[in-house]
Amino acid sequence: MTIVFLTMSAVTVLGAVLAVTLRNLVHCLLALVLFFLGIAGHFFLLRADFLGAAQILIYIGAVAVLILFAIMLTRNITGTEGGRGSLGGAWWLGVGIAAALAGLMCAASRRSGLAEKLPYGATEEGVVKEIGRLLVTDWVVPLEIMAVLLTAALIGAVVIALEEERKR
Amino acid sequence: MDAIYQLIHAYCPTMPDLLALVLAILLPIAIVMGVFLTVFALLTWVERKALGRIQNRRGPNRVGPVGLFQPIADGLKLLTKEDIVPDAADKVVHFLAPVLVVVPAFLVLAVVPVARGFVPVDLNIGVLFALAVSTASVLALFMAGWASHNKFSLLGAMRGVAQVVSYEVPMVLAAVVVLMAAGSLSSVTIVEAQRGLGGWFVCKPWGFVGFVIFQLCAMAEVARTPFDLPEAESEIVAGYHTEYSGFKFALFQMGEYVAAITMGGITVTMFLGGYLGPGSDLPKIGWLISACWFFAKFGIIVVINIWARGTWPRVRVDQLLGFAWKLLLPLSLVNIVAMAVWHFSPSKLVGWVASAVLLAVAIVALVRLNAGAAFEKRSYRFTS
Repeated sequence: MTIVFLTMSAVTVLGAVLAVTLRNLVHCLLALVLFFLGIAGHFFLLRADFLGAAQILIYIGAVAVLILFAIMLTRNITGTEGGRGSLGGAWWLGVGIAAALAGLMCAASRRSGLAEKLPYGATEEGVVKEIGRLLVTDWVVPLEIMAVLLTAALIGAVVIALEEERKR
Repeated sequence: MDAIYQLIHAYCPTMPDLLALVLAILLPIAIVMGVFLTVFALLTWVERKALGRIQNRRGPNRVGPVGLFQPIADGLKLLTKEDIVPDAADKVVHFLAPVLVVVPAFLVLAVVPVARGFVPVDLNIGVLFALAVSTASVLALFMAGWASHNKFSLLGAMRGVAQVVSYEVPMVLAAVVVLMAAGSLSSVTIVEAQRGLGGWFVCKPWGFVGFVIFQLCAMAEVARTPFDLPEAESEIVAGYHTEYSGFKFALFQMGEYVAAITMGGITVTMFLGGYLGPGSDLPKIGWLISACWFFAKFGIIVVINIWARGTWPRVRVDQLLGFAWKLLLPLSLVNIVAMAVWHFSPSKLVGWVASAVLLAVAIVALVRLNAGAAFEKRSYRFTS
């Protein structure tokens, strides 16, 4: 278990580091996918199968592909133009912020007592059922707000695309 | 896995525990890989024979009896061919793409119950896992197209990405009705929920519509012929694998075929009752009969695929995307509502009629809405 965890963590960290240091944008994206895979692996390791599969379905199947479309619309994909050093001069600032954020989240999750609740309905069928039940009972308002937000974003995208069409 | 573990224990009680466990893990993997790779080899032959039949020619008939050894000859030929990598290609990504295209296809096999009590891994999120992993192949496709540094490859890859992303949505929504009916994501539980006469989900109105949507989306997802825009020969050479030769090309073909096979397996599991059938519950030989049932149903799906490939022309890009977003997506949403009507209706008959009427109205309305402009007599401006 520990060996699997360490390997997976190494892969995840490697993917994350490569994603910000590589010059070629497509390579960065592939490194990011490696990172997503590592996170999905961690979810599977924690017996959160549903979250793992959702991670693959959404982040690798959809988000990575969206980023890909965005990359295809940009110039300088190979990173050969412009100055060197993708991290810029202030990399230590980024590291500091990341460390502070990680510390904050660590402290918050310790304080919230999530750990005591942890195998939350973790029976064979339980996790998915529990998530589904909670989403339409306790968390139905946030869920609906998210749905409205996403629909609004979708309609907004269509409206923007229609404008372009009309200008032509 | 547990069943095999117990079987090993029953027959060789002296075997050490760890070895038995490793065997119990490796054995199903070996069986599944072996069986499905054989099926893959045979399928290339069946497909070429059937396509030949449809196109009024003989198909492969030189190697072995009725050309049966053609896949072996093809494999040897592709293995010995020179592997050419374009000078401008991104070497690492160009190498990784054909490797990655096979992995998701095989991973999905892990959750397909092939016979009673035989599923390599009975994940409690089996179907979700299958759907999630099968969409990951789109990245390999894009890697191939982008790394080749060839505009036809890139065009094919972009087409493939747009297609897979579009068809993923109605596909997952079509699967939702099955999950609602079975009340589980586990592939074994879904099969068991289809017990009884007419219990297969395809025999219900919502199941039938779901089956058709799912089958169409599966065909689009693995880019088979009516939807093979990413590799349309007449337009963009060979699409994303234009710059691949030798065994890397073979790997792309294999990835596509194995993806088609696994999609067929998932379709059979979700809609056609999987391994269920008369005799599949017999005590001693039930598992064998159930395996026969699975492969018989699977064969029907395969034949439908080949038939569609041989008889339908390739669709246009705008038709392809319009079909997914304007017809399949709303229809699959209506299908979910029909399933809810079925679930909450007081009696079976009421549910059957209500959901069937709802779906029929939705299909007619959607087809009407999607119908293009009527054909008119062409008028010429500069003739007289």
